[in-house]
Amino acid sequence: MQIVQVLAYGILLGGIYALLASGVTLIFGVLDVVNVAQGAFLVFSALFTWQIWDMFGMEPLLLIPVMGAMMGIIGWAIYRGMLIRVAPQGPGMTVLLMFGVALTMEGILNLAFGNKFKSVTPAYFTESLKLGEIVLPYPQLISGVLAIVVLGAIYAYLRFSWAGRALRASSQNRDGAALVGISHKKAAGFAFAIGAATAGVGGVLLAIMYPIFPATHYEWIARLLGVVVLGGFGSIPGAIIAALLLGTMESFASTFVPQWAPLFFYGTILLILVFRPQGIMGSKTREDVA
Amino acid sequence: MQKLREPRVLVPLLLLLLLALFPVLLPDSTYEESVIIACFLLAIMASGWNLISGLAGYVSLGHSVYLGIGMYTGAILSKAWGIEPMYLMPLGGIFAAIVAIGVGAIVLRSRSHAFVIITIAVLWSMQLLAQVAKPITGGADGIVVPPPPWAKEFGNIPYYYMFFTVLLLTILLAWFVMNSRLGAGLVAIRNDEGKAASIGINTTLYKITAYALSAIPFGVAGVLYGQYLSFVNPIGAFGILTSVILVLAALVGGRGTLWGPVIGGFIIAFANEFATVSAGGVSARVLIMGIVLILVVMFLPAGLLPTISAAIKRRREKGDTVKFIDQTAIANSSTEVDTSAIKARARKSGTDTDNILEVKDIVKTFGGVRAVDGVSLTVERGTITGLIGPNGSGKTTLFNCMTGTFTPTSGSVLLDGENITKDRVWTRAHEGLGRTFQITRLFKSMTVLDNLVAPLEQTSAKQMVAGRYSGEEVDRAREILDFMGLAQFEKQNAAALSFGQQKLVELAQVLMLRPSIILLDEPASGINPTLIEKLANVIRRLNEAGTTVLIVEHNIPLVLSLCSKVHVLAAGQVLTSGTPEEIRNDPLVIEAYLGPDHLLEAPSV
Repeated sequence: MQIVQVLAYGILLGGIYALLASGVTLIFGVLDVVNVAQGAFLVFSALFTWQIWDMFGMEPLLLIPVMGAMMGIIGWAIYRGMLIRVAPQGPGMTVLLMFGVALTMEGILNLAFGNKFKSVTPAYFTESLKLGEIVLPYPQLISGVLAIVVLGAIYAYLRFSWAGRALRASSQNRDGAALVGISHKKAAGFAFAIGAATAGVGGVLLAIMYPIFPATHYEWIARLLGVVVLGGFGSIPGAIIAALLLGTMESFASTFVPQWAPLFFYGTILLILVFRPQGIMGSKTREDVA
Repeated sequence: MQKLREPRVLVPLLLLLLLALFPVLLPDSTYEESVIIACFLLAIMASGWNLISGLAGYVSLGHSVYLGIGMYTGAILSKAWGIEPMYLMPLGGIFAAIVAIGVGAIVLRSRSHAFVIITIAVLWSMQLLAQVAKPITGGADGIVVPPPPWAKEFGNIPYYYMFFTVLLLTILLAWFVMNSRLGAGLVAIRNDEGKAASIGINTTLYKITAYALSAIPFGVAGVLYGQYLSFVNPIGAFGILTSVILVLAALVGGRGTLWGPVIGGFIIAFANEFATVSAGGVSARVLIMGIVLILVVMFLPAGLLPTISAAIKRRREKGDTVKFIDQTAIANSSTEVDTSAIKARARKSGTDTDNILEVKDIVKTFGGVRAVDGVSLTVERGTITGLIGPNGSGKTTLFNCMTGTFTPTSGSVLLDGENITKDRVWTRAHEGLGRTFQITRLFKSMTVLDNLVAPLEQTSAKQMVAGRYSGEEVDRAREILDFMGLAQFEKQNAAALSFGQQKLVELAQVLMLRPSIILLDEPASGINPTLIEKLANVIRRLNEAGTTVLIVEHNIPLVLSLCSKVHVLAAGQVLTSGTPEEIRNDPLVIEAYLGPDHLLEAPSV
């Protein structure tokens, strides 16, 4: 029975990783930018959630749309204000820019919230759902399920809406998409906004699960990027598979060898990259007409 | 010694001399010394980082991991073996290099963004490892490193000179790399990695070597730094802030240059010290560093040194007019030069097949599309062979399977009778297969001559350490430029040339490999008729000098006039093969191109 519990726990954790990593991989797919600030977006949203919860004592889950919209707008502003200028210099410089953004956000959060752990603890924080012998704590259960729902909604939107098709077109062939009337700037701004919004949603979910303080964004970005690398850059299905794999892996490791759990996480990534350098769903593209 | 008087050599030397004399000129300035030591350390790290991230363009965001490895090497081994930590400095460098080779072997094989991410993950993993592996590392509490062996009165002065020495050695290493073939290859990789591979540069080996070399100064300095701090713990050794600051230093000074990272190291270390003294804690420093990083990336992306030297150069060149270059002169330039420079490599002993290149049953699918569907054809030694076919017939895909850009789904490629289907792109170049690109891919930030000396006929350690312009390559490059009528462009940046001229330079570049067969991908597309004629001339002369040529082209008259044999592809299969005369009159070919009821015009060239 313990195995089933650990597995269920792993899938819930994987669902959250999947939501967070899909934002990074979407941004990469459309913009060719490795968004190392995603962890900072996440912590930013989590700490704001804490602040509002602390002040008004409201149900934190109600903040999901608010934080999603807020991070979406911030993301769009970062793209229009800064990234758009640096983008022509290539991925090496944009990654440094986003790193600067991450540090700036960390610094601001440090000054605003102090370098202390903050936890959002609604009434159900310590309760669990009991199904026979399986015990699932409500924060994990709610976050995991909501993450999977939001991810499903985003995926369906990208798959079936006109805007989603435009994004996919622009990510596959920027010039070709421009010829049929899809502005790359608009598509990129939109993609960045959606990517950042997933961090806004994810921040709320994290806030009820883990204690958060500003510098934890390094830990989160290392994990998210690990998921993206393993899944194959730019591939959302790849990110989902990798997230579920790593979530389960971590769940097992933290049950049986708790101290070594984070190392198992990175060890798995390196091991798989030895055999598949392009990641699980990554592909080599034509490069003769670069 | 005339060179010494030049300001760009003299100024840094004088500054270094001043730094060397500082403790003598101003004794009893312990605080100032400690600030300069911080500058030295940051300059060492920024220069080291520059080798992989500045030269090769692979940004590492977790490079301080190698400083931490050095710190722990010194702390752990000095305790275990009971020796002075500073004697372990070389070992610190070696360990750092070994870890870098291990990491590089995993993430530097392919061209991807995995590198930047894994560098963060490696830093993070090392911090976790140091915390978890308590029996060896002391866990979160860390290890106390014994004090230095010298008397207290000396203070930090011995450290000062030791860090200074490591800095000088690091600068020397950087200078050596930049002026070697390795450095030229790294810059080529930064410009265009796929192209670099196609001219024989073993990009994987080059990148891993650069990464390992860049880790060595960190490992060496780390041992010293651990003893200087007298204490090593996971957060201090593997902190991400150090990585940020060193990246910032290299960026501010000017990545890719010799002195930029050193200057940047001094600037940022002073700024950091100032921020700590006046602005308070770590939080404020993180904020300041973040804002500075954003500003530098947005407004000073090239860094101080390149920006200033570009400004000086502009001022000096004011008044110089751009020289008019006579295009027709290039086209009509004498081709009556000695052809020894363009002679193909001698045929490999033991191989006397008549077919230099042979593909057998090549299939290449993309998802459900069979772009190449079971193609077998041969290229006879010493011929000019053509490969034509309507758009979408699979020419370029087949071409890419031959050159190694794609691995075919099934089937094999034979060069000189040897199976090369699985060989890497650069290995094919070493074996005598050269290629050009439909849209030229020269290294645009490099001069024409630099572009020509970049190709490598083999991979060897000797070649990597050889000087950039050493050996007979430079002479041969000039002969080839002469032969092509491009001698006057030698010092121009490749980006300054017209598209047609770039095509000629790219061909010249490939000739440097002394290929036994050249694959030309649509050489005549997008260039003017005069240059096409010139190109046809060059191809004929190459062929006379013993080079086999395979040409993929849409300009049918050109193909029919040049080639002795032509293969026609349609819908991923070989439609027919034959002499130009046969192809010209083959109704199947006419139909494939124009549909039924059309006649092909008689060739005009």
